[in-house]
Amino acid sequence: MCVIRTEKLGKTYEGGTVALSALDLEVRAGEVFGFLGPNGAGKSTTIQLLLNFIRPTSGRALLFGKPATSASSRQRIGFLPESVSLNGYYTGWGLLDFYAKLHRVAEADRPRRVDDLLHRVGLQDASRRRVSQYSKGMVQRLGLAQALIGDPDLLLLDEPTTYLDPLGRRDFRDIVLDLKSGGKTVFICSHVLSEVESVCDRVAILQNGVLRRSGTLEELSQARGSTIVASGLNASAIAAISATAAHLTLQGAEAAITCRNAEVRREVEQVLVAEGARVESIERDKESLEDIFLSAVDPRDGS
Amino acid sequence: MTVAFLIAVDCIRALLHKRLLIALMLVTLGLTVGFSMLLDRSLEFMQGVQEQAIESQEGEMSEAEIQEIRSGLDMAGPFLLGAFFWMAMFGGQLVALYICCTAVSGDIRSGTIRIVLAKPVSRDQFLLGKFCGAVIVMLAYSALIGAAIVAFTHANDLDANTAAHHAPWLMFCQILVVGSVGMLLSLLIHPLLAGVAAFFASASLLSSPNPLYFILPSYDRFNVTHSILTGEMIDLEDVLLLTAYAVDVAAIMMLLALWRFRTREVA
Repeated sequence: MCVIRTEKLGKTYEGGTVALSALDLEVRAGEVFGFLGPNGAGKSTTIQLLLNFIRPTSGRALLFGKPATSASSRQRIGFLPESVSLNGYYTGWGLLDFYAKLHRVAEADRPRRVDDLLHRVGLQDASRRRVSQYSKGMVQRLGLAQALIGDPDLLLLDEPTTYLDPLGRRDFRDIVLDLKSGGKTVFICSHVLSEVESVCDRVAILQNGVLRRSGTLEELSQARGSTIVASGLNASAIAAISATAAHLTLQGAEAAITCRNAEVRREVEQVLVAEGARVESIERDKESLEDIFLSAVDPRDGS
Repeated sequence: MTVAFLIAVDCIRALLHKRLLIALMLVTLGLTVGFSMLLDRSLEFMQGVQEQAIESQEGEMSEAEIQEIRSGLDMAGPFLLGAFFWMAMFGGQLVALYICCTAVSGDIRSGTIRIVLAKPVSRDQFLLGKFCGAVIVMLAYSALIGAAIVAFTHANDLDANTAAHHAPWLMFCQILVVGSVGMLLSLLIHPLLAGVAAFFASASLLSSPNPLYFILPSYDRFNVTHSILTGEMIDLEDVLLLTAYAVDVAAIMMLLALWRFRTREVA
Protein backbone atom coordinates (compact mmCIF):
# COMPACT_ATOMS: atom_id res chain seq x y z
CA MET A 1 0.00 0.00 0.00
CA CYS A 2 1.21 3.48 -0.89
CA VAL A 3 1.30 5.84 2.07
CA ILE A 4 2.60 8.75 0.01
CA ARG A 5 1.96 9.11 -3.67
CA THR A 6 2.70 12.12 -5.81
CA GLU A 7 1.66 12.40 -9.42
CA LYS A 8 3.49 14.97 -11.55
CA LEU A 9 3.60 17.18 -8.47
CA GLY A 10 5.00 20.61 -9.26
CA LYS A 11 5.43 23.97 -7.60
CA THR A 12 6.45 27.20 -9.23
CA TYR A 13 6.62 30.22 -6.96
CA GLU A 14 5.61 33.73 -7.93
CA GLY A 15 8.43 35.18 -9.97
CA GLY A 16 8.87 31.95 -11.88
CA THR A 17 11.16 30.03 -9.51
CA VAL A 18 10.57 26.33 -10.12
CA ALA A 19 10.86 24.61 -6.74
CA LEU A 20 9.55 21.23 -7.81
CA SER A 21 9.04 19.78 -11.25
CA ALA A 22 6.64 16.90 -12.05
CA LEU A 23 7.61 14.72 -9.10
CA ASP A 24 6.39 11.13 -9.24
CA LEU A 25 7.05 9.39 -5.96
CA GLU A 26 5.71 6.42 -4.07
CA VAL A 27 6.45 5.61 -0.47
CA ARG A 28 5.16 2.27 0.72
CA ALA A 29 3.80 1.41 4.14
CA GLY A 30 6.41 0.36 6.67
CA GLU A 31 9.47 1.67 4.90
CA VAL A 32 11.96 4.31 5.95
CA PHE A 33 12.38 6.58 2.98
CA GLY A 34 15.27 9.02 2.61
CA PHE A 35 14.58 12.13 0.56
CA LEU A 36 17.96 13.58 -0.31
CA GLY A 37 19.23 16.59 -2.11
CA PRO A 38 21.44 19.63 -1.75
CA ASN A 39 20.11 22.84 -0.18
CA GLY A 40 17.29 24.29 -2.25
CA ALA A 41 16.65 21.02 -4.07
CA GLY A 42 12.92 21.09 -3.28
CA LYS A 43 12.81 18.66 -0.34
CA SER A 44 11.04 21.00 2.08
CA THR A 45 8.73 22.20 -0.69
CA THR A 46 7.65 18.59 -1.21
CA ILE A 47 6.86 18.18 2.51
CA GLN A 48 4.96 21.48 2.52
CA LEU A 49 2.92 20.28 -0.45
CA LEU A 50 2.22 16.97 1.27
CA LEU A 51 0.94 18.82 4.33
CA ASN A 52 -1.10 21.32 2.31
CA PHE A 53 0.89 24.28 3.63
CA ILE A 54 1.37 25.40 0.04
CA ARG A 55 -0.64 24.71 -3.12
CA PRO A 56 0.79 22.76 -6.03
CA THR A 57 0.90 24.48 -9.40
CA SER A 58 0.60 21.10 -11.12
CA GLY A 59 -0.13 17.48 -10.25
CA ARG A 60 -1.40 16.18 -6.95
CA ALA A 61 -0.33 14.51 -3.74
CA LEU A 62 -2.10 11.69 -1.94
CA LEU A 63 -1.63 10.56 1.65
CA PHE A 64 -3.12 7.17 2.56
CA GLY A 65 -4.98 7.38 -0.73
CA LYS A 66 -6.70 10.66 0.16
CA PRO A 67 -5.88 14.11 -1.24
CA ALA A 68 -3.26 15.92 0.84
CA THR A 69 -5.76 18.74 1.37
CA SER A 70 -7.92 16.51 3.59
CA ALA A 71 -7.53 17.30 7.32
CA SER A 72 -8.61 13.76 8.24
CA SER A 73 -5.49 12.23 6.66
CA ARG A 74 -3.41 14.27 9.11
CA GLN A 75 -4.85 12.25 12.00
CA ARG A 76 -2.31 9.57 11.00
CA ILE A 77 0.63 11.89 10.42
CA GLY A 78 3.41 13.24 12.60
CA PHE A 79 5.53 16.12 11.36
CA LEU A 80 8.80 17.63 12.48
CA PRO A 81 9.68 20.83 10.58
CA GLU A 82 13.21 21.86 9.66
CA SER A 83 13.42 24.76 12.11
CA VAL A 84 11.16 23.84 14.97
CA SER A 85 9.23 26.77 16.39
CA LEU A 86 7.20 25.98 19.50
CA ASN A 87 5.04 28.13 21.78
CA GLY A 88 7.50 29.19 24.47
CA TYR A 89 4.84 30.00 27.07
CA TYR A 90 4.04 26.32 27.68
CA THR A 91 6.07 23.92 29.75
CA GLY A 92 7.36 20.94 27.82
CA TRP A 93 4.66 18.78 29.42
CA GLY A 94 1.92 21.35 28.81
CA LEU A 95 2.83 21.73 25.15
CA LEU A 96 2.73 17.99 24.50
CA ASP A 97 -0.57 17.79 26.36
CA PHE A 98 -1.99 20.57 24.15
CA TYR A 99 -0.88 18.78 20.97
CA ALA A 100 -2.24 15.48 22.33
CA LYS A 101 -5.64 17.16 22.77
CA LEU A 102 -5.49 18.45 19.18
CA HIS A 103 -4.72 14.88 18.12
CA ARG A 104 -7.79 13.74 20.08
CA VAL A 105 -5.75 11.38 22.25
CA ALA A 106 -8.14 9.90 24.82
CA GLU A 107 -8.05 11.78 28.12
CA ALA A 108 -7.22 8.64 30.11
CA ASP A 109 -4.17 7.91 27.92
CA ARG A 110 -2.87 11.47 27.63
CA PRO A 111 -0.73 11.88 30.78
CA ARG A 112 0.95 8.50 30.25
CA ARG A 113 1.57 9.19 26.54
CA VAL A 114 3.09 12.60 27.33
CA ASP A 115 5.30 11.19 30.10
CA ASP A 116 6.44 8.30 27.90
CA LEU A 117 7.39 10.56 25.02
CA LEU A 118 9.25 13.03 27.22
CA HIS A 119 11.17 10.09 28.62
CA ARG A 120 11.80 8.70 25.14
CA VAL A 121 13.37 11.94 23.90
CA GLY A 122 15.29 12.46 27.15
CA LEU A 123 13.39 15.51 28.40
CA GLN A 124 11.76 14.01 31.49
CA ASP A 125 13.83 16.23 33.81
CA ALA A 126 12.95 19.40 31.89
CA SER A 127 9.24 18.61 31.49
CA ARG A 128 8.10 21.32 33.95
CA ARG A 129 10.34 24.03 32.50
CA ARG A 130 9.03 26.58 30.04
CA VAL A 131 9.87 25.80 26.43
CA SER A 132 11.30 29.34 26.08
CA GLN A 133 14.10 28.22 28.44
CA TYR A 134 15.00 25.18 26.32
CA SER A 135 18.17 24.99 24.24
CA LYS A 136 17.90 24.44 20.48
CA GLY A 137 18.70 20.77 20.90
CA MET A 138 16.00 20.39 23.56
CA VAL A 139 13.47 22.15 21.31
CA GLN A 140 14.41 19.73 18.52
CA ARG A 141 13.85 16.77 20.86
CA LEU A 142 10.51 18.20 21.97
CA GLY A 143 9.67 18.74 18.31
CA LEU A 144 10.28 15.04 17.69
CA ALA A 145 8.10 14.17 20.69
CA GLN A 146 5.20 16.30 19.40
CA ALA A 147 5.52 14.59 16.02
CA LEU A 148 5.03 11.24 17.76
CA ILE A 149 2.20 12.32 20.09
CA GLY A 150 -0.63 11.01 17.91
CA ASP A 151 1.07 7.62 17.42
CA PRO A 152 1.27 8.37 13.68
CA ASP A 153 1.42 5.81 10.91
CA LEU A 154 3.49 8.21 8.83
CA LEU A 155 6.22 10.42 10.19
CA LEU A 156 7.48 13.31 8.05
CA LEU A 157 10.85 14.57 9.27
CA ASP A 158 12.50 17.60 7.69
CA GLU A 159 16.21 17.77 8.55
CA PRO A 160 15.51 16.10 11.90
CA THR A 161 19.01 16.13 13.36
CA THR A 162 19.99 19.72 12.57
CA TYR A 163 20.50 20.84 16.18
CA LEU A 164 21.13 17.47 17.80
CA ASP A 165 24.43 16.51 19.40
CA PRO A 166 25.93 13.06 18.68
CA LEU A 167 23.99 11.57 21.59
CA GLY A 168 20.78 13.08 20.29
CA ARG A 169 21.53 11.74 16.80
CA ARG A 170 22.00 8.27 18.19
CA ASP A 171 18.70 8.53 20.11
CA PHE A 172 17.02 9.75 16.94
CA ARG A 173 18.36 6.78 14.97
CA ASP A 174 17.12 4.39 17.66
CA ILE A 175 13.66 5.98 17.60
CA VAL A 176 13.45 5.67 13.80
CA LEU A 177 14.54 2.04 13.94
CA ASP A 178 11.94 1.43 16.69
CA LEU A 179 9.24 2.97 14.50
CA LYS A 180 10.39 0.87 11.57
CA SER A 181 10.17 -2.30 13.59
CA GLY A 182 6.68 -1.22 14.65
CA GLY A 183 5.62 -1.05 11.01
CA LYS A 184 5.48 2.74 10.79
CA THR A 185 6.43 4.67 7.67
CA VAL A 186 9.13 7.31 8.05
CA PHE A 187 9.92 9.93 5.41
CA ILE A 188 13.19 11.72 6.15
CA CYS A 189 14.38 14.81 4.29
CA SER A 190 18.04 15.31 4.89
CA HIS A 191 21.41 16.08 3.47
CA VAL A 192 23.23 14.29 6.27
CA LEU A 193 23.89 11.16 4.23
CA SER A 194 25.32 9.03 7.02
CA GLU A 195 22.15 9.30 9.08
CA VAL A 196 19.99 8.37 6.09
CA GLU A 197 22.24 5.49 5.06
CA SER A 198 22.02 3.91 8.49
CA VAL A 199 18.22 3.77 8.66
CA CYS A 200 16.66 4.08 5.19
CA ASP A 201 15.28 1.28 3.03
CA ARG A 202 14.89 3.41 -0.04
CA VAL A 203 16.10 6.84 -1.09
CA ALA A 204 15.27 9.44 -3.70
CA ILE A 205 17.71 12.12 -4.78
CA LEU A 206 16.40 15.48 -5.85
CA GLN A 207 18.20 18.40 -7.42
CA ASN A 208 16.71 21.70 -8.55
CA GLY A 209 13.23 20.26 -8.11
CA VAL A 210 13.93 17.32 -10.43
CA LEU A 211 14.07 13.71 -9.24
CA ARG A 212 17.50 12.42 -10.25
CA ARG A 213 17.44 8.88 -8.89
CA SER A 214 15.37 6.71 -6.61
CA GLY A 215 15.44 3.14 -5.35
CA THR A 216 16.92 0.94 -2.66
CA LEU A 217 20.55 1.49 -1.75
CA GLU A 218 21.25 -1.86 -3.37
CA GLU A 219 19.62 -0.81 -6.62
CA LEU A 220 21.36 2.52 -6.73
CA SER A 221 24.87 1.37 -5.94
CA GLN A 222 26.63 0.47 -9.14
CA ALA A 223 29.62 -1.81 -8.89
CA ARG A 224 32.49 0.57 -9.32
CA GLY A 225 35.15 -2.09 -9.55
CA SER A 226 35.62 -5.73 -8.69
CA THR A 227 38.22 -8.28 -7.74
CA ILE A 228 38.13 -11.70 -9.41
CA VAL A 229 39.91 -14.58 -7.73
CA ALA A 230 40.70 -17.29 -10.29
CA SER A 231 42.68 -20.54 -10.34
CA GLY A 232 44.12 -22.74 -13.05
CA LEU A 233 45.64 -19.92 -15.06
CA ASN A 234 48.16 -20.92 -17.68
CA ALA A 235 50.85 -18.68 -19.21
CA SER A 236 48.72 -17.63 -22.16
CA ALA A 237 45.86 -16.69 -19.84
CA ILE A 238 48.22 -14.60 -17.71
CA ALA A 239 49.55 -12.89 -20.84
CA ALA A 240 46.03 -12.24 -22.17
CA ILE A 241 44.86 -10.77 -18.83
CA SER A 242 48.01 -8.65 -18.55
CA ALA A 243 47.16 -7.22 -21.96
CA THR A 244 43.84 -5.89 -20.59
CA ALA A 245 43.41 -2.93 -18.26
CA ALA A 246 43.08 -5.26 -15.27
CA HIS A 247 45.75 -5.67 -12.63
CA LEU A 248 46.85 -9.20 -11.90
CA THR A 249 48.52 -10.45 -8.72
CA LEU A 250 49.57 -14.07 -8.39
CA GLN A 251 48.97 -15.60 -4.97
CA GLY A 252 50.26 -19.18 -5.16
CA ALA A 253 47.93 -21.27 -7.31
CA GLU A 254 45.40 -18.45 -7.45
CA ALA A 255 45.41 -15.04 -9.05
CA ALA A 256 43.66 -11.90 -7.84
CA ILE A 257 42.54 -9.78 -10.79
CA THR A 258 41.42 -6.25 -9.98
CA CYS A 259 39.06 -4.77 -12.56
CA ARG A 260 38.50 -1.02 -12.67
CA ASN A 261 34.99 -1.19 -14.03
CA ALA A 262 32.33 -3.51 -15.42
CA GLU A 263 33.74 -3.36 -18.96
CA VAL A 264 37.19 -4.55 -17.88
CA ARG A 265 35.57 -7.23 -15.72
CA ARG A 266 33.63 -8.61 -18.70
CA GLU A 267 36.80 -8.65 -20.80
CA VAL A 268 38.67 -10.58 -18.09
CA GLU A 269 35.79 -13.01 -17.63
CA GLN A 270 35.86 -13.75 -21.38
CA VAL A 271 39.61 -14.46 -21.23
CA LEU A 272 39.19 -16.73 -18.21
CA VAL A 273 36.42 -18.69 -19.90
CA ALA A 274 38.42 -18.96 -23.17
CA GLU A 275 41.55 -20.17 -21.34
CA GLY A 276 39.65 -22.70 -19.22
CA ALA A 277 40.50 -21.04 -15.90
CA ARG A 278 38.17 -21.32 -12.92
CA VAL A 279 36.56 -18.30 -11.26
CA GLU A 280 36.70 -18.84 -7.48
CA SER A 281 34.96 -15.61 -6.44
CA ILE A 282 34.03 -12.12 -7.59
CA GLU A 283 33.95 -9.33 -5.03
CA ARG A 284 32.30 -6.10 -6.07
CA ASP A 285 33.20 -2.76 -4.53
CA LYS A 286 29.86 -1.13 -3.78
CA GLU A 287 29.25 2.62 -3.86
CA SER A 288 28.49 4.33 -0.60
CA LEU A 289 25.43 6.59 -0.38
CA GLU A 290 27.78 9.54 -0.64
CA ASP A 291 29.13 8.17 -3.94
CA ILE A 292 25.58 7.63 -5.19
CA PHE A 293 24.59 11.13 -4.13
CA LEU A 294 27.62 12.77 -5.71
CA SER A 295 27.17 10.88 -8.95
CA ALA A 296 23.46 11.82 -9.08
CA VAL A 297 23.93 15.49 -8.30
CA ASP A 298 25.54 17.66 -10.92
CA PRO A 299 27.88 20.09 -9.12
CA ARG A 300 27.60 22.57 -12.02
CA ASP A 301 23.84 22.63 -11.59
CA GLY A 302 23.94 25.04 -8.65
CA SER A 303 20.99 24.72 -6.30
CA MET B 1 -15.85 22.59 17.89
CA THR B 2 -13.56 21.20 20.61
CA VAL B 3 -10.56 21.87 18.41
CA ALA B 4 -11.63 25.50 17.81
CA PHE B 5 -12.09 25.87 21.58
CA LEU B 6 -8.59 24.51 22.22
CA ILE B 7 -7.16 26.94 19.67
CA ALA B 8 -9.11 29.79 21.30
CA VAL B 9 -7.73 28.95 24.74
CA ASP B 10 -4.23 28.71 23.27
CA CYS B 11 -4.75 32.09 21.56
CA ILE B 12 -5.75 33.71 24.88
CA ARG B 13 -2.70 32.18 26.52
CA ALA B 14 -0.46 33.44 23.74
CA LEU B 15 -1.92 36.95 23.88
CA LEU B 16 -1.54 37.15 27.66
CA HIS B 17 2.11 36.25 27.26
CA LYS B 18 2.73 39.04 24.77
CA ARG B 19 4.50 41.68 26.78
CA LEU B 20 3.94 44.25 24.07
CA LEU B 21 0.18 43.73 24.21
CA ILE B 22 0.04 43.92 28.00
CA ALA B 23 2.18 47.07 27.86
CA LEU B 24 -0.10 48.55 25.18
CA MET B 25 -3.20 47.77 27.26
CA LEU B 26 -1.71 49.32 30.40
CA VAL B 27 -0.35 52.34 28.54
CA THR B 28 -3.66 53.09 26.78
CA LEU B 29 -5.55 52.67 30.03
CA GLY B 30 -2.98 54.78 31.90
CA LEU B 31 -3.02 57.48 29.22
CA THR B 32 -6.82 57.56 29.27
CA VAL B 33 -6.91 58.02 33.02
CA GLY B 34 -3.93 60.40 33.00
CA PHE B 35 -5.34 62.56 30.22
CA SER B 36 -8.72 62.73 31.93
CA MET B 37 -7.14 63.68 35.28
CA LEU B 38 -5.16 66.42 33.57
CA LEU B 39 -8.32 67.64 31.92
CA ASP B 40 -10.09 67.51 35.26
CA ARG B 41 -7.45 69.75 36.85
CA SER B 42 -7.63 72.20 33.92
CA LEU B 43 -11.41 72.33 34.13
CA GLU B 44 -11.28 72.89 37.89
CA PHE B 45 -8.85 75.74 37.32
CA MET B 46 -11.02 77.25 34.57
CA GLN B 47 -14.10 76.88 36.73
CA GLY B 48 -12.31 78.71 39.54
CA VAL B 49 -11.25 81.51 37.20
CA GLN B 50 -14.74 81.87 35.77
CA GLU B 51 -16.39 81.85 39.24
CA GLN B 52 -13.96 84.59 40.29
CA ALA B 53 -14.82 86.54 37.15
CA ILE B 54 -18.54 86.27 37.92
CA GLU B 55 -17.97 87.39 41.51
CA SER B 56 -15.72 90.33 40.53
CA GLN B 57 -18.05 91.48 37.77
CA GLU B 58 -21.24 90.99 39.77
CA GLY B 59 -23.61 93.82 38.98
CA GLU B 60 -21.86 94.52 35.70
CA MET B 61 -23.05 91.27 34.06
CA SER B 62 -26.62 90.56 33.08
CA GLU B 63 -28.46 87.59 34.57
CA ALA B 64 -28.46 85.92 31.12
CA GLU B 65 -24.67 86.24 30.81
CA ILE B 66 -24.15 84.73 34.27
CA GLN B 67 -26.55 81.88 33.41
CA GLU B 68 -24.67 81.20 30.20
CA ILE B 69 -21.35 80.96 32.05
CA ARG B 70 -22.87 78.70 34.71
CA SER B 71 -24.38 76.32 32.12
CA GLY B 72 -20.99 76.24 30.43
CA LEU B 73 -19.41 75.22 33.75
CA ASP B 74 -22.07 72.51 34.21
CA MET B 75 -20.93 70.96 30.92
CA ALA B 76 -17.51 70.25 32.46
CA GLY B 77 -18.59 66.88 33.93
CA PRO B 78 -19.98 65.34 30.73
CA PHE B 79 -17.08 66.82 28.77
CA LEU B 80 -14.65 65.07 31.06
CA LEU B 81 -16.49 61.77 30.74
CA GLY B 82 -16.73 62.22 26.97
CA ALA B 83 -12.98 62.84 26.76
CA PHE B 84 -12.31 59.77 28.89
CA PHE B 85 -14.49 57.63 26.64
CA TRP B 86 -13.00 59.05 23.46
CA MET B 87 -9.49 58.23 24.67
CA ALA B 88 -10.58 54.76 25.79
CA MET B 89 -12.11 54.08 22.37
CA PHE B 90 -8.95 55.19 20.61
CA GLY B 91 -6.81 52.99 22.85
CA GLY B 92 -9.26 50.11 22.42
CA GLN B 93 -8.91 50.30 18.66
CA LEU B 94 -5.11 50.11 18.93
CA VAL B 95 -5.36 47.10 21.27
CA ALA B 96 -7.90 45.37 19.01
CA LEU B 97 -5.77 45.92 15.93
CA TYR B 98 -2.67 44.59 17.66
CA ILE B 99 -4.53 41.50 18.86
CA CYS B 100 -6.30 40.69 15.59
CA CYS B 101 -3.53 41.62 13.15
CA THR B 102 -0.98 39.42 14.94
CA ALA B 103 -3.19 36.50 16.09
CA VAL B 104 -2.82 34.49 12.87
CA SER B 105 -0.08 36.30 10.99
CA GLY B 106 2.20 36.06 14.05
CA ASP B 107 1.87 32.29 14.01
CA ILE B 108 2.56 32.20 10.28
CA ARG B 109 5.69 34.32 10.69
CA SER B 110 7.01 32.34 13.67
CA GLY B 111 6.22 28.99 12.03
CA THR B 112 4.21 27.60 14.96
CA ILE B 113 1.18 27.36 12.65
CA ARG B 114 2.88 24.58 10.67
CA ILE B 115 2.96 22.26 13.66
CA VAL B 116 -0.70 22.94 14.49
CA LEU B 117 -1.92 22.57 10.91
CA ALA B 118 0.01 19.31 10.57
CA LYS B 119 -2.34 17.98 13.25
CA PRO B 120 -5.94 17.04 12.39
CA VAL B 121 -6.98 20.69 12.59
CA SER B 122 -8.82 22.27 9.68
CA ARG B 123 -8.01 25.80 8.64
CA ASP B 124 -11.56 26.89 9.49
CA GLN B 125 -11.19 25.55 13.04
CA PHE B 126 -7.84 27.29 13.40
CA LEU B 127 -9.07 30.69 12.22
CA LEU B 128 -12.34 30.55 14.18
CA GLY B 129 -10.45 29.51 17.30
CA LYS B 130 -8.02 32.40 16.90
CA PHE B 131 -10.88 34.85 16.33
CA CYS B 132 -12.80 33.61 19.38
CA GLY B 133 -9.65 33.91 21.52
CA ALA B 134 -9.08 37.46 20.27
CA VAL B 135 -12.74 38.40 20.93
CA ILE B 136 -12.53 37.12 24.52
CA VAL B 137 -9.39 39.19 25.20
CA MET B 138 -11.05 42.27 23.64
CA LEU B 139 -14.14 41.67 25.78
CA ALA B 140 -11.96 41.49 28.89
CA TYR B 141 -10.25 44.73 27.89
CA SER B 142 -13.64 46.43 27.40
CA ALA B 143 -14.72 45.21 30.84
CA LEU B 144 -11.54 46.73 32.26
CA ILE B 145 -12.37 50.04 30.55
CA GLY B 146 -15.92 49.81 31.90
CA ALA B 147 -14.58 49.33 35.42
CA ALA B 148 -12.23 52.30 34.88
CA ILE B 149 -15.17 54.48 33.72
CA VAL B 150 -17.17 53.55 36.83
CA ALA B 151 -14.18 54.27 39.06
CA PHE B 152 -13.48 57.54 37.25
CA THR B 153 -17.12 58.66 37.47
CA HIS B 154 -17.21 58.00 41.19
CA ALA B 155 -13.79 59.51 41.88
CA ASN B 156 -14.76 62.77 40.14
CA ASP B 157 -18.32 62.78 41.41
CA LEU B 158 -19.69 62.92 37.86
CA ASP B 159 -23.22 62.23 36.70
CA ALA B 160 -23.09 59.33 34.24
CA ASN B 161 -26.01 59.36 31.81
CA THR B 162 -27.29 56.32 29.88
CA ALA B 163 -24.83 56.98 27.08
CA ALA B 164 -21.96 56.57 29.55
CA HIS B 165 -23.54 53.39 30.91
CA HIS B 166 -23.63 51.82 27.47
CA ALA B 167 -20.26 53.19 26.42
CA PRO B 168 -18.07 50.16 27.39
CA TRP B 169 -20.34 47.72 25.53
CA LEU B 170 -20.44 49.96 22.46
CA MET B 171 -16.69 50.28 22.65
CA PHE B 172 -16.48 46.48 22.56
CA CYS B 173 -18.79 46.44 19.52
CA GLN B 174 -16.57 48.97 17.81
CA ILE B 175 -13.33 47.12 18.49
CA LEU B 176 -15.01 43.88 17.39
CA VAL B 177 -15.64 45.48 14.00
CA VAL B 178 -12.19 47.09 13.79
CA GLY B 179 -10.52 43.86 14.91
CA SER B 180 -12.35 41.67 12.41
CA VAL B 181 -11.40 44.06 9.59
CA GLY B 182 -7.80 43.94 10.86
CA MET B 183 -7.78 40.14 10.96
CA LEU B 184 -9.07 39.89 7.39
CA LEU B 185 -6.53 42.41 6.11
CA SER B 186 -3.66 40.72 7.98
CA LEU B 187 -4.29 37.63 5.83
CA LEU B 188 -3.89 39.71 2.71
CA ILE B 189 -1.08 42.16 3.49
CA HIS B 190 1.70 42.73 6.03
CA PRO B 191 0.19 42.89 9.55
CA LEU B 192 1.51 46.40 10.20
CA LEU B 193 -0.01 47.71 6.98
CA ALA B 194 -3.17 45.76 7.79
CA GLY B 195 -3.40 47.53 11.14
CA VAL B 196 -3.03 50.97 9.58
CA ALA B 197 -5.45 50.15 6.74
CA ALA B 198 -8.04 48.69 9.14
CA PHE B 199 -7.83 51.76 11.37
CA PHE B 200 -8.77 54.01 8.45
CA ALA B 201 -11.14 51.57 6.72
CA SER B 202 -14.23 53.30 8.04
CA ALA B 203 -17.13 54.69 6.03
CA SER B 204 -17.26 57.51 8.59
CA LEU B 205 -14.21 59.03 6.92
CA LEU B 206 -15.93 59.09 3.50
CA SER B 207 -19.01 60.65 1.98
CA SER B 208 -21.75 59.14 -0.18
CA PRO B 209 -20.41 59.67 -3.75
CA ASN B 210 -17.42 57.50 -2.90
CA PRO B 211 -18.30 53.81 -3.59
CA LEU B 212 -16.26 52.73 -0.54
CA TYR B 213 -18.74 54.59 1.62
CA PHE B 214 -21.29 51.88 0.83
CA ILE B 215 -18.87 48.96 1.28
CA LEU B 216 -16.82 49.81 4.35
CA PRO B 217 -18.23 49.46 7.86
CA SER B 218 -18.73 52.60 9.89
CA TYR B 219 -16.79 52.78 13.15
CA ASP B 220 -18.32 56.11 14.17
CA ARG B 221 -21.75 54.60 14.77
CA PHE B 222 -20.46 53.31 18.10
CA ASN B 223 -18.97 56.59 19.21
CA VAL B 224 -21.28 57.96 21.90
CA THR B 225 -18.97 60.80 22.97
CA HIS B 226 -21.45 63.32 21.54
CA SER B 227 -24.35 61.73 23.42
CA ILE B 228 -22.35 61.80 26.66
CA LEU B 229 -21.56 65.49 26.10
CA THR B 230 -25.11 66.53 25.28
CA GLY B 231 -26.78 64.25 27.77
CA GLU B 232 -28.70 62.60 24.93
CA MET B 233 -30.38 59.35 25.97
CA ILE B 234 -29.47 56.10 24.22
CA ASP B 235 -32.27 53.54 24.06
CA LEU B 236 -31.67 49.88 24.66
CA GLU B 237 -33.14 49.35 21.19
CA ASP B 238 -30.32 51.46 19.70
CA VAL B 239 -27.75 49.44 21.61
CA LEU B 240 -29.26 46.19 20.34
CA LEU B 241 -29.29 47.49 16.77
CA LEU B 242 -25.66 48.58 17.03
CA THR B 243 -24.76 45.19 18.52
CA ALA B 244 -26.49 43.43 15.62
CA TYR B 245 -24.63 45.68 13.18
CA ALA B 246 -21.27 44.84 14.83
CA VAL B 247 -21.99 41.09 14.83
CA ASP B 248 -23.09 41.33 11.20
CA VAL B 249 -19.94 43.11 10.07
CA ALA B 250 -17.71 40.79 12.12
CA ALA B 251 -19.45 37.74 10.60
CA ILE B 252 -18.99 39.06 7.05
CA MET B 253 -15.33 39.83 7.73
CA MET B 254 -14.80 36.36 9.18
CA LEU B 255 -16.47 34.67 6.21
CA LEU B 256 -14.15 36.58 3.89
CA ALA B 257 -11.19 35.71 6.14
CA LEU B 258 -12.12 32.00 6.10
CA TRP B 259 -12.41 32.07 2.32
CA ARG B 260 -8.97 33.68 2.05
CA PHE B 261 -7.32 31.52 4.70
CA ARG B 262 -8.41 28.24 3.11
CA THR B 263 -6.13 28.87 0.15
CA ARG B 264 -3.45 30.95 1.82
CA GLU B 265 0.04 29.48 1.82
CA VAL B 266 1.50 29.19 5.31
CA ALA B 267 5.08 28.16 4.59
